[in-house]
Amino acid sequence: MAQDIDRLKRQMLRELVQENLDLIEGRLPRGLRKRRIPVAVRVLGLAVLSLGLFGSARLLPSLTGAAAAPPAASASTAAARPAPRSAAAPARPLPEAPTVLTSAPTPVDEAVFPLAIRRIAIDAGHGGESIGTRAPLGLVEKELTLDIALRVRKLLEADSFQVLMTREQDRSLSLEERGQAANRAHADVFVSIHLNWIVNRKTRGIETYYLGPTDDPFLTRLAADENRESGYSMADMRRLLDRIYADVRQKKSKKLAQVVQASLFGSLEKANPGLEDRGVKAAPFIVLLTTEMPAILAEVSCLSNEEEAELLTKPQYRQYIAEALAAGVRSYAGSAADSGKKGI
Amino acid sequence: MAEKDKDRDKEKDVLHVGIDLGTSRSSISASTGERHVVESYVGWPLDMVARKVLKKPVLIGSEAIQNRSMLDLHRPLEQGLIKEGSDKDEAAVRELLGHLLSLVGVDREERNGRKVRAVVGVPAEALRVNKQHVRKALQGAVDSLMIVSEPFAVAYGLEALLHTMIIDSGAGTTDFCVMNGRLPTEDDQRTLPQAGDWIDEQLMRFAKARHPEASISIHMVRQWKEEGSFVGDTKTPVVVTAPVNGKPTQLDITGEMRQACEGILPPMVESMLDLLSKAQPDYQEKIRNNVVVSGGTALIRGLGQRLEQELQAVGGGKVRVVKDPVYVGSDGGLAIAVDAPEGDWEKLTA
Repeated sequence: MAQDIDRLKRQMLRELVQENLDLIEGRLPRGLRKRRIPVAVRVLGLAVLSLGLFGSARLLPSLTGAAAAPPAASASTAAARPAPRSAAAPARPLPEAPTVLTSAPTPVDEAVFPLAIRRIAIDAGHGGESIGTRAPLGLVEKELTLDIALRVRKLLEADSFQVLMTREQDRSLSLEERGQAANRAHADVFVSIHLNWIVNRKTRGIETYYLGPTDDPFLTRLAADENRESGYSMADMRRLLDRIYADVRQKKSKKLAQVVQASLFGSLEKANPGLEDRGVKAAPFIVLLTTEMPAILAEVSCLSNEEEAELLTKPQYRQYIAEALAAGVRSYAGSAADSGKKGI
Repeated sequence: MAEKDKDRDKEKDVLHVGIDLGTSRSSISASTGERHVVESYVGWPLDMVARKVLKKPVLIGSEAIQNRSMLDLHRPLEQGLIKEGSDKDEAAVRELLGHLLSLVGVDREERNGRKVRAVVGVPAEALRVNKQHVRKALQGAVDSLMIVSEPFAVAYGLEALLHTMIIDSGAGTTDFCVMNGRLPTEDDQRTLPQAGDWIDEQLMRFAKARHPEASISIHMVRQWKEEGSFVGDTKTPVVVTAPVNGKPTQLDITGEMRQACEGILPPMVESMLDLLSKAQPDYQEKIRNNVVVSGGTALIRGLGQRLEQELQAVGGGKVRVVKDPVYVGSDGGLAIAVDAPEGDWEKLTA
């Protein structure tokens, strides 16, 4: 028994030391860190994926009774779909190698055919010197947004999306840099995660923004607060806004905002009775302005409300938020895929 | 601490310390066998007159509370964490830690070549940024530093590492932690903001409502709670003294004390049962029979029995209140500090 305790102690001390080293070196806790896939596994995955796709395009029709269809038509159907995911992305169960295809018709995992919307940029609001809002209990917006963003990444990657994080640690990043990172990665949608602060501290609620003009003084002030670190002059902003408001992606952004807001409110209402659906709104946030894809800014909770702040101390509630955001993105991507073209 | 550990420290000229940095009280346990607890208050004289009267540039602990009228008084920890955004509060934490270390013979400026290795406990769900603040506050004061979740420090000190639930309730937070034989993850832990301070606020409100004519301060309320807190029934009425129109008057606050203390039970019971239900089903019974309550709030009379009654709803269990709740966190930190291998300490430079 004493030996068991000593063994447990040694094991726990090892983990504790590692946790502290991670803290000193600014690494994320192990649970939240992106899993590295060994090179050998990645190479094998790529090989199997290629063979799977090859098999899907060429062999599967003949084995499923579609042999009469011209091979070119089958190939073009496959080719019309978006390119396969990077082999470095976390692997879903892959289709069996051709040996299986020659023995029996095996359904191909849908994951090998990527969704029309597959690259999601997740932006954890604030970071570094920009702490965002804060509440008692030591809660600061920049930490919470990062925690939620990392959870969303995990969920979306499990669904075979490629996820780009604008930041993975506590570091400063300008609003322009965030948008540019998403543009460079050719993200299909951009989701910026923030926490609200409302003067009436009894208010608790969620709201989702897309880029657009507003006459609401509260929203103007909120946008001014969030845009403070943008580095853009008022003249720059007017030019950018004129360009963007005429853009077709404003409609897509609005649709994305509606789907995400519905998912957030629908899911969180159960865990947070009294939650207010503050709706989908248009406001001129710079971080949305600099992106070239449908983009939204979700205020997923109110740090100014004591009960909400308390809920945010609970990992389970942060997980609910992440799940709702991921579900919203999934739903938007699904409807885009259904429409058979990129975007809605 | 074992004699051999003391010998080891002596040989290597190393001092190990465990620190429980609390919202209300902070304690330190050192490998020399010394233990101290101080009220987590730091005060600077308000003006030249105060400085002349007090003859000190900074006052800490009960001395600061006693002389609070002459001080810019700070309680730098809130919910067990360093308050952010105030330079004065950060300075107060540094003073507090420096004072704690000085009590066990560590001079901030001159350590006479002795290495100081510290383990500091923070609330279970403290964010990384809060831990970084603790590291920053201790920079230069110790040679190596490890930060641990407070309930884990308690569990380690009690060797309650397997199938145990620790409920560590101090002034700022109530921390829950299920020990499964591994370092607890966030799924194994909960933190509630309802703790000793919350009870003080409730008691203040109830007492003022019952005796509106009395002048009552939060310091008085805190002292009343420490002397007479209870849940359930009591045969001893809680009678306190407070000024009414300047005249010391006896007030009966038995009902108010019960109401304030019992207010913490619903969130505490809910968290306890929720965490239990999340544990592996095979071990739930063992955990139910190994619930340990520590921290200042553990001193509330009848708390252990009341939690045991609540466990009846899920098949019953046993609740143990630790004998030395004030030092159990710092003692646990010290045990970790002493047990951590030399090589690991070298990596954890403060």
